[in-house]
Amino acid sequence: MDAVKIAPGFEKIMPQEYQDLVNDGPYGRNLSVKDLGTFKELIDEHPLCAGCTLTLSLRIVLASLPNPENTLIVTCAGCFGVIHPQISLHCTIAPFGTHNAFASGLKRALKVKFPNKNKDVISMAGDGGFADIGLSPTFHSWVRGERLTSIMIDNECYANTGGQDSGMTPEGVVLNMSPLGKNFPKIEFAELAKLAGCAYVATATPTNPRLLGQMVRRAILVSREVGPTVIRIATVCQTNYKLSPIEGYNKAKSFESQTFEYFTKEAQKYIESIEKKSPKTELNLEVGVENED
Amino acid sequence: MSTLVSLPSSSYKVVAGPEAYLSPAAASLGVVLPENGQGLIEGEIVPEEIVMEIIAKKLLTAKNPTLFPGPLVLWAWSEKSIEKATAAQKLAAEVPGMRIIPMPDYRPKYPMINPAIEINPNHPNLTIWHNNIDVCMFIGVHCHYANLALKIIRGGTDCYTIALCGEFGHEDAMITLRDVSAEKVTKLTEVVKRVKKEAL
Amino acid sequence: MKEKKTVSPEYMILEAPREKKFMIGNEALAEAVKRANVDVVVVYPITPQSEISHLCGDLWVAGYIKDYYRGEDELHVMASMMGAASAGVRTFTATSGPGTLRAMEPFACWAGYRLPIVCPIMGRGIGTPANIQPDSVEIFYLLETGMIIFHVESPQDFFDMTLQAYAIAEQPDVHIPVIVFCDGFFVTHTREIVETTPDDEFLLPYNSNLSPVPAMDMEAVPVRMARDCLVIKNNFISYNANASWQQEVRAAQHRARKYIDRFMGGPLEVINPDAEVLLMASGSAAAQARVAMEIAQEEGIDVGMVKIKVIRPFPVAEIAKLCEKAKLIMVPEFNFIGWLAKEIKAVVNNNSKVFSGPNVFAGMTMPPEVIVDEIKKLLKLTK
Repeated sequence: MDAVKIAPGFEKIMPQEYQDLVNDGPYGRNLSVKDLGTFKELIDEHPLCAGCTLTLSLRIVLASLPNPENTLIVTCAGCFGVIHPQISLHCTIAPFGTHNAFASGLKRALKVKFPNKNKDVISMAGDGGFADIGLSPTFHSWVRGERLTSIMIDNECYANTGGQDSGMTPEGVVLNMSPLGKNFPKIEFAELAKLAGCAYVATATPTNPRLLGQMVRRAILVSREVGPTVIRIATVCQTNYKLSPIEGYNKAKSFESQTFEYFTKEAQKYIESIEKKSPKTELNLEVGVENED
Repeated sequence: MSTLVSLPSSSYKVVAGPEAYLSPAAASLGVVLPENGQGLIEGEIVPEEIVMEIIAKKLLTAKNPTLFPGPLVLWAWSEKSIEKATAAQKLAAEVPGMRIIPMPDYRPKYPMINPAIEINPNHPNLTIWHNNIDVCMFIGVHCHYANLALKIIRGGTDCYTIALCGEFGHEDAMITLRDVSAEKVTKLTEVVKRVKKEAL
Repeated sequence: MKEKKTVSPEYMILEAPREKKFMIGNEALAEAVKRANVDVVVVYPITPQSEISHLCGDLWVAGYIKDYYRGEDELHVMASMMGAASAGVRTFTATSGPGTLRAMEPFACWAGYRLPIVCPIMGRGIGTPANIQPDSVEIFYLLETGMIIFHVESPQDFFDMTLQAYAIAEQPDVHIPVIVFCDGFFVTHTREIVETTPDDEFLLPYNSNLSPVPAMDMEAVPVRMARDCLVIKNNFISYNANASWQQEVRAAQHRARKYIDRFMGGPLEVINPDAEVLLMASGSAAAQARVAMEIAQEEGIDVGMVKIKVIRPFPVAEIAKLCEKAKLIMVPEFNFIGWLAKEIKAVVNNNSKVFSGPNVFAGMTMPPEVIVDEIKKLLKLTK
């Protein structure tokens, strides 16, 4: 949808928020996190908890899309299920865990339907959805090389169902299904992604919006031309971890030490050709050596 | 008051409600969609010309007639959709006092819609009640969501519904036309003009 | 892609000239898929359906299907189908037995998404104990998913009903998935004469502009669109909206009746309806019932037959009427449950004259003589 326009004659009767979306929305304008506050965002109200970092992460992701006018989002049961109708794009929830399979079919079909047009498909889910119930289809979408961007909001629990431990919960944490503390370590999700041949794998926190925004942009661009990409957003569910919103934010900030970016050689070359400089200048990077092209 | 049970009968009349705690879907009770050149009035198949006359009369005698344009005409996505939008505006202009309240999209709105200025297929009753709408007309709404809205309105309000459908029509409306293009909307507008004149 | 001559479904199904060929059911199905102008196919192996999945791969390589890949299991193949069909393209997949049950969550979701997917299922045993032999037990699990269900008797049916399935599924006032169910091996791997349409004529492509829900492609309006909005937490009358959505999906099944009449000549095939004894059967059991009817008639027993082609929407009024006169109605089935007999009993006034059986399953065959013997036994008992 290259242009979002109201039919002539109906402009005055459209509610203000839709007029704002048309006149000040991000469609076709290639905006980014640094423009937040100057445009009508793709999400306004939401029914999730006050101070939720999932919503903050989603806001940053939506503000970082290179082509929102041609971006689709597949989400997962969980807190995303409740918030996704508020996103001003085409989105949906897939049956729990199947989001990367759904997104694979969607991406393939869009390529058939619009062979000369680029449609960015992003799948977003929590840690339970990606690392437990969805681990198999996620891994298979990676090894098949599906051109998707997978974004995990890792708040280290199943939040929407009331706070159970997931595979991404650290060892020893007491949650509703780990009364004696979770008895195995946090799954190395990013390592799995690298092993599966993903072209770009990154971790950031929502407490550093500009960095996360840049990663989202890179992930989407790389997934267009090179291969599947993955971002893990390391954060916390303050509600289920029994933290105040400020405590939750500070805990997420403490995860900044987990920030990293991994490119295959091909992905790095591609990003350099777009950004006209080495992405290494941004961060200390690990550039893949296994995938020599 | 009909029951929650599907009755194997095709004598079901699709009339203004409030009908039931949970209205049945008219198709499940045997109401069939019309063929080309026909429409539906309260569950009965009727030639299109007669349907247009009845629509005109309903609109012109309504206390608070309201047009509900949906996304297919509200958003400028094709030349044809813009023509249909213009035709719909002209039709509304011919009905004295006809308001236009948009259905800009279909997804549930949080925390709730503003029923004074919009309608949503998940809770259309709010808009009908808030604005005291006695006769309403839908145009440019995707069929699935039109059927939801029409059924919920019939269940919870006494509003009389008219559906101008671009495809095969809606059994859940009290009156429906099918294959509604810009040309057909214009034709309906002419009927409204004529009926208005005859009444004077 | 090959340059295609496209024709309407009315022409292809009702008017196109036919040529006799000799082939197994899976091949007949592939012939239908070839002509159906399918966009995306996702597959996964399971006996006895794997062969059609292979043949689709060959069709893809030859340019008849636009994209094709093997998924990682049936649950996720069916989820991929949801993604592809939501985008607004024509899709195809197939599964059997345990694969069907593995995919039950998406199967229960497909109709609610208003996805016109055509999915043949080749019925077989599930477990326990494990069994790959023919069985129609799966239909029982699929009955209330909201999908349209056809039951195929022969390779000819498999060819015809698949094309009919696309014609009916894609009607804007229907637009729900169709399961084209056959009993595995009896149909998939049995060679019979199949009359096919010309292989250089293809169905008109699917047009998502006619869909009753916006395609998920960032071209269809509105731009703010959640394909299956979770209508809780955000609404005033949210649960009524969710219930209404489910009712609308069932209404779509009712609307399909018009097209079942137009494209399939109705949901039933009826022979000698005024007979004293009526055999009511679907799928391969109908094939056996045909022969049993002939044998019984030769022995002087007045037997007629009703082949039920469409299981959902179940032809309630027609079955009720047909059962009025007969003294005895017998429902032979290739499954343990006797689901077809249950369906019939539920709609017949005096259903004490409806007998479920013979029920044959686990791969056992149903010799027509067994059916005839049962008829004789019951006639003696009911005298």
